[in-house]
Amino acid sequence: MQAILTIKLVRIAIVIAIFALWETLSRTGLVNPRLLPSASDTFLTLGDLLQRASVQKDLMVTATEVLAAFALAVPLGALIGFLIAENRYFADVAKPLLFFAFSIPKSIFLPMFILVFGVGFAQKVGFGFFSTIFIVIMSTTTAVESVKVEHLTVARSYGATRMQTAFRVYLPSMLPVLLEALRISMIFNLTGVILAEMYASRDGIGHQIATWGENFQMKQLLAGVLMVAAIAMAFNEIVRWVETQCSHWRT
Amino acid sequence: MQSLANVTPLKPPPRAGAIEVKNVRQVFRTKSQDVVALDDVSLEIKPGRFVVLVGPSGCGKSTLLMMMAGLREQTSGTITVNGAPIPKPDPNRVGVVFQEASLFPWLTAEDNVEFPLALRGVAKAERRAKAQDALKLVGLEGFGKRHPHELSGGMKQRVSIARGLVQDPPVLLMDEPFAALDEQTRMTMGDELLRIWAATGKTVVFVTHSLTEAVYLADEVIVMSPRPGRIVDHLQVPLPRPRTYEMLSGDAFGALRDRIWRHIRKSA
Repeated sequence: MQAILTIKLVRIAIVIAIFALWETLSRTGLVNPRLLPSASDTFLTLGDLLQRASVQKDLMVTATEVLAAFALAVPLGALIGFLIAENRYFADVAKPLLFFAFSIPKSIFLPMFILVFGVGFAQKVGFGFFSTIFIVIMSTTTAVESVKVEHLTVARSYGATRMQTAFRVYLPSMLPVLLEALRISMIFNLTGVILAEMYASRDGIGHQIATWGENFQMKQLLAGVLMVAAIAMAFNEIVRWVETQCSHWRT
Repeated sequence: MQSLANVTPLKPPPRAGAIEVKNVRQVFRTKSQDVVALDDVSLEIKPGRFVVLVGPSGCGKSTLLMMMAGLREQTSGTITVNGAPIPKPDPNRVGVVFQEASLFPWLTAEDNVEFPLALRGVAKAERRAKAQDALKLVGLEGFGKRHPHELSGGMKQRVSIARGLVQDPPVLLMDEPFAALDEQTRMTMGDELLRIWAATGKTVVFVTHSLTEAVYLADEVIVMSPRPGRIVDHLQVPLPRPRTYEMLSGDAFGALRDRIWRHIRKSA
């Protein structure tokens, strides 16, 4: 217990030290405050920004895009991943191709998405979807493969129906891997949508951050970075918490 | 764990089953040729007997066991359990105990034992009561709330046995259940299994690689040879029960083990 507590304290100390260093560098003028506004100023700006209707609207736009892309990519990717894992022939054909596709940086396709969808909602959702689906397919394949043949045989020997096998063996076996997949997919998804917004957009928090950067509004830029970082971390931690609740039996 | 004295059987009149295997043949088709895994295997197992199948890898002993469980279909021949064929698994007639990794790690010991009952929609209270009885029978009273990763190898196999017995099937099929255990645990589990068998009166068919284990546990040992899998000997073990550790070094025990070994050496 003592060791865990110490580790937590050290962790908090590191975070405080980083913000303190930031504050000092800026306040003492070691780094030009116009390039690096102080941490305290940035937080004040963040509070101010969060109250602005335009920023709230941008956050809503981004959230809608992210959720739409996520809601499309996760079920479709999971379905494709499941079919690949369950069919030997399909798996042999598709797996290397998926690995090829996964290795390509998705950002190089962004101009094409603009040509096809124009600048707007569909382009961002489309690109978010495209950035996410490959990792969902691959994780689902791994999740299905994590189901042990022995467990399926046990279920069969006690007369389990297909539905019982699905819900009592497949689902609990796959759940920890699926939740991890969900978490990692969201990272890819968020990256995709924000990148699309920064590249070409009229609204969204990514567009706003890009604009602040271009106009040299460093306080707003850094506040925007903190905002997105906090949202991403919060989502990640929530899913991670659910993960630990569901996979306590994994050793 | 428990001593022999305070064990009560699951149900007073033992439910034991008969198994009949007649001219069973199993052929695996590969691209280049047909492999005969089992060739004209016939045997009869009387109710309440403890029968062990031994033989080198590839003799089809596990395949034969899976057919008795209804998990596999033979190419030709018939297998009946209590007089009726078993084309698919029937937990009312046959309970199966597999190798070590077969418990569901996300379920507690008692939930694992209840699994076969849950599949059939048995009410929670009845399920729990039956699981408690089965866990008590295998000497794991009070361990029901633990997950498999919190149990030792031997305890996990006790849970598997409890799961196999929870529906009170007349036949218990065991596929190398102690293969993954260390020597000491294996000996202890052998004694435990004999105690449970004596308490329940089930028909047990047990597959193993170990000749010592075979002779120690069995009423009858069936020796099989590989490619094609055939029965080369069917011997009775006349050693008295309960079996004791001292018997292992006796002449009678040695003679039986040697007889099996000579068959296996010939075919290996």
